[in-house]
Amino acid sequence: MSTKQLESLSEETVRRIADERDEPEWLLETRLNALSALETAELPDVIQTPGRRWTDLEALDFEALVDPLNQADETERTAGDDEVVVLPFTEALAEYGDVIEANFGSVLDPEHNYLTALSVALFTTGTFVYVPEGVDVEDVTVRAEMNSRSLFSQTLVVAEESSSVTILESIETGDAEVDDDRYFSNLVEVVAGENANVQFGSLQNLDADAYTYSLKRGVTDTYATIDWIESNFGSKLTRSDIETDLNGDGSESQIVGTFFGTDDQHFDINARVWHQAEQTTADLVTRGVLDDVARSVYEGVQDVGEDAWNTSSYQRENTLMLSDDAEADASPKLIIHNHDTEASHSATVGQVDAEDLFYLESRSIDSRTARNMLVEGFFVPVLEEIAVDEFRDDVEELVFERLQ
Amino acid sequence: MSSQQDDLKETDTEARFEFKKEEKSAFKSEKGLTEETVRVISEDKDEPEWMLERRLRALEQFQEMPMPTDWPGQPDLSEVDIDEIVPYIRPDIETRGGADSWEDLPEEIQDTFDKLGIPEAEKNALSGVGAQYESEIVYQNMQERWEEKGVIFCDMDKAVQEHEEIVREHFMTKCVPPSDNKFAALHGAIWSGGSFVYVPENTTVEMPVQAYFRMNSEGMGQFEHTLIIAEEGSEVHYIEGCSAPKYSAFNLHSGGVEVFVGEDAHVQYSTVQNWSKNTYNLNTKRAIAEKGGRMEWISGSMGSKATMLYPSTILKGRGASDNHITIAFAGEGQDIDTGAKVYHNAPNTKSTVESKSIAKDGGRTNYRGLVHIADGAENSSTAVECDALMFDNESTSDTMPYMEINESKVDVAHEATVGKIGDEDIFYLQSRGLDDDDAKQMIVSGFIEPITEELPIEYAVELNRLVELEMEGSLG
Repeated sequence: MSTKQLESLSEETVRRIADERDEPEWLLETRLNALSALETAELPDVIQTPGRRWTDLEALDFEALVDPLNQADETERTAGDDEVVVLPFTEALAEYGDVIEANFGSVLDPEHNYLTALSVALFTTGTFVYVPEGVDVEDVTVRAEMNSRSLFSQTLVVAEESSSVTILESIETGDAEVDDDRYFSNLVEVVAGENANVQFGSLQNLDADAYTYSLKRGVTDTYATIDWIESNFGSKLTRSDIETDLNGDGSESQIVGTFFGTDDQHFDINARVWHQAEQTTADLVTRGVLDDVARSVYEGVQDVGEDAWNTSSYQRENTLMLSDDAEADASPKLIIHNHDTEASHSATVGQVDAEDLFYLESRSIDSRTARNMLVEGFFVPVLEEIAVDEFRDDVEELVFERLQ
Repeated sequence: MSSQQDDLKETDTEARFEFKKEEKSAFKSEKGLTEETVRVISEDKDEPEWMLERRLRALEQFQEMPMPTDWPGQPDLSEVDIDEIVPYIRPDIETRGGADSWEDLPEEIQDTFDKLGIPEAEKNALSGVGAQYESEIVYQNMQERWEEKGVIFCDMDKAVQEHEEIVREHFMTKCVPPSDNKFAALHGAIWSGGSFVYVPENTTVEMPVQAYFRMNSEGMGQFEHTLIIAEEGSEVHYIEGCSAPKYSAFNLHSGGVEVFVGEDAHVQYSTVQNWSKNTYNLNTKRAIAEKGGRMEWISGSMGSKATMLYPSTILKGRGASDNHITIAFAGEGQDIDTGAKVYHNAPNTKSTVESKSIAKDGGRTNYRGLVHIADGAENSSTAVECDALMFDNESTSDTMPYMEINESKVDVAHEATVGKIGDEDIFYLQSRGLDDDDAKQMIVSGFIEPITEELPIEYAVELNRLVELEMEGSLG
C-alpha cells in the first residue's frame, strides 16, 4: 500500500506526544523512526486467494479515524502484590527506564507493518508489567475504557527468570461522546525469561462503531511458557493477531481464542507459532460463533523450523454458524521443516446439532433456550482452558449477553 | 493378480521411463511464443477459423496476465521462460491423427511405448488407448463394441475436425476458460494433441480408456487437451499416464483437462504422472458435475521439478458429489504443490479429499486446497484429510487449506497431520528380520495403501514401483 500521508500526522505531532509525557530521547527516536517507516510500510498481510482479499483493510479511512492529539482513556491497573510492577509507561520510565529500553520493540518490531508503525509513533496509553526473578503473582488486571476517536495502546511485559504472572486486560467503550467511527490499536509484547510463565488474557468488547487492530507477540526463553487467551466480542471490524516465538528449548505456548459475531461484524483472527528450538510444544484452540451476517476469517500457522527437533504442535478450530447469512473462512496452515515433528490441525464448520436440539426440545425446553444452551456448551472446551475464574466468568457473561 | 504384479515388477522401471530417443520430427516450431507460432500450429492442423480465433484470444490473455508469484510458499517459476520453449513438435510419422495399429508406427516410437508397457496393457485391460508422442497423438484405438454404442474416444485434433459442434460448445468455454490462470491461457494458445472422450446417455464403458503422453525432445513444451463429456446416466473411467526423459534444459508441461459430468453420470479420472525432474508441470484440470453426477479424481504426482496442480470440481447440481484421492512424493530438488478444489454450488452436495504426501532428501510437498460452500448449498458436507510423512530434515512439508463457508447448514471438516516415519514401527519390523530400507519401504507402502487400492492394478503396481525407486539408495 502506498502510505496514506495523514494530515494529522507530522514529526511535530509525534514530538508533542513524547514531550507531553516527558519521554527519554530513545523512545522519541523509536517513535520518529516508526513515523518515517510509514512511508514504505505495508498493511498487514491478509489471507488472499486468487481474485479475493478476505479482509479489506485498505478500505479503512485513517484520515478520518486517526486523531492523535486527542486520545483519551480511563484505565484502571491493579496488582495484588507489591513485588510486581504495573505502571503506565509515563510513570515507569523514570525508575525502570533501562529495563524498558532494553526490551521495548525487541519482540514486536515497531516497523513490522503500517499499523504497528502508526501505533508506536502515536501511542499514549498502555502498561509496563515487570515481574522480577522468582516472583509469582496471579492477579494483574488492566481495565481500559476508550474515550476518544482513536486510541493507541502499547504494552510491554517482562517476566524474569522463574517468575510467573497472570495478566488480564480488557477494553470497552467509555461514556465519552464520540460520533462516527473509531479506531483502537493494541500492541502487546511479552518477554518470558528462562523458566518464566506468563498467562495473558485479553477481552475486547468495544461497541459497533469501532475498528480494532491488535497484535500480541511473545518470545520464550528456555522452559518458558506463554499462554494467551484472546476473546473478541465487540467492534465492527477486528483484526487480531496472536503470535509466539518459541525460541528456547523446552518452551511452550498455548493460544486459546474465542469470538462471537453478530450483526455485520467482521473478525480476522490469526494465531501463529514459530517453533525455533528443541522440544517445544504448542497448542492452538479457537472456537467462534457467528450469527446474522457476521463473518470470520481465521488463519492458524504452525511453523516448525529446521532446528526444532522433537516438536509437538496441535491446532483445532471450530466455527458454529447460527445464521444462513453468516460466512466463515478458515485456513489452518502447517509449515514443517523438521521431520522429527508431531503436528496436526483440524478445522470444522457446522451448525447446532439437530439431534441435540431435538433432544433438548423433547425435554420441553423451548427451541430458543435449547439453542442457547448448545451455544454455551460449544464454548465450554475453550472456557475450560481458561484457568482464571474471573476471566472465565467475564467471557461466559458476554456469551450469555450475545444470546439474548 | 500376483503374477501380473511380479511381471511388471521385473521390468526395470528406470529403463522404462528414463530412456531417450534421438529427436526426429516432421515439423518443429520455433522457440518461443508469438502470434506467428500460434497461426502456424493452427494451420498445420488445418483448424477451423473459430479455433484459431480462440487461440489468438488466449494468447492475448496470456500476454496480459502476470506470472503467479504471490501465493504463499508457491514453487519458484523464475526459470520458466516461454521464449526458451519449443511449443510444438509434430513427430515424424505418416499417419496423422493416430495410427490404429502399433505396427504402423515408426520403430523408435513403437519401441518407446513397448518399453512403457502400453500395448500390453491395452490387450489386457483397456477399452481403448491413445498414445501421444511430443505434440501429437500417434496411436489411437477404441474397441469396436464401444464404438458401436456411440462412445467416441479419439485425439483432440481429430475431434475438432469430426465433432466440431460438440467441441466448439465445450472447448475452454465454461469449464476451463483461458482467463482462469496464466498457464490455462498459454495452454489455450498452443494446445496440441490430447484426448476427446464422449459417452452417450446411459452408456457404461466398463473398462477404462487410457491415454499416455510421452515427451521425448529436449526443451519442449507439451500442451495436450483432454475433454471428457459423459452424458446423463453414463459412466466412464479415463486413465492418463505421462513421462519424459531427463535433459539438461527444462521442459514445460501445461495440460488442460475439462470434464463434463452429466446428470447422474459417473466419471473417474486417474493419473500417475512421472515427469522427469526438470519438467515444470503446470496444469489446469476441472470438472463440472450436474445433478446427481459423481466425479472422482485419483492422482499420483511423482516426477517433475515443480508441480502446481489443483484438480477442481464444481458441484453444480443438487446431490452432485466429488472424491479426490491424491498422493505426492517429492525427492531431491522437487517441489510438489498440489491439492484439490471443490466448489459446492448446490444443495446436498458432498465431497471428500484424501491426500497423502511423502517428502525426502530435500523435497518439498505442499497441500494447497480450497473448499467453497456457496450460500444456498444447504445440507452439503465435506471432509478433507491430509497426511504428510517426512523422512529427513532437509525436506519440507506444508499444508495450506482454505475453507470458505457461506452457508450454515453444512458439515465441514478438515484434518491434517504431519509426522516422521515412526522409530518404533521401524524397530518392530527390524526385530522381525527386515533391514532398515525394507522396513521403511514397507511403512511407506502402508502409508499410501489407501490411495493405491483405488487405482487399477497396473497403476497401483507402477505407483508402488516408482515409490520404491524414489526410496532406493538414499535411505538409512
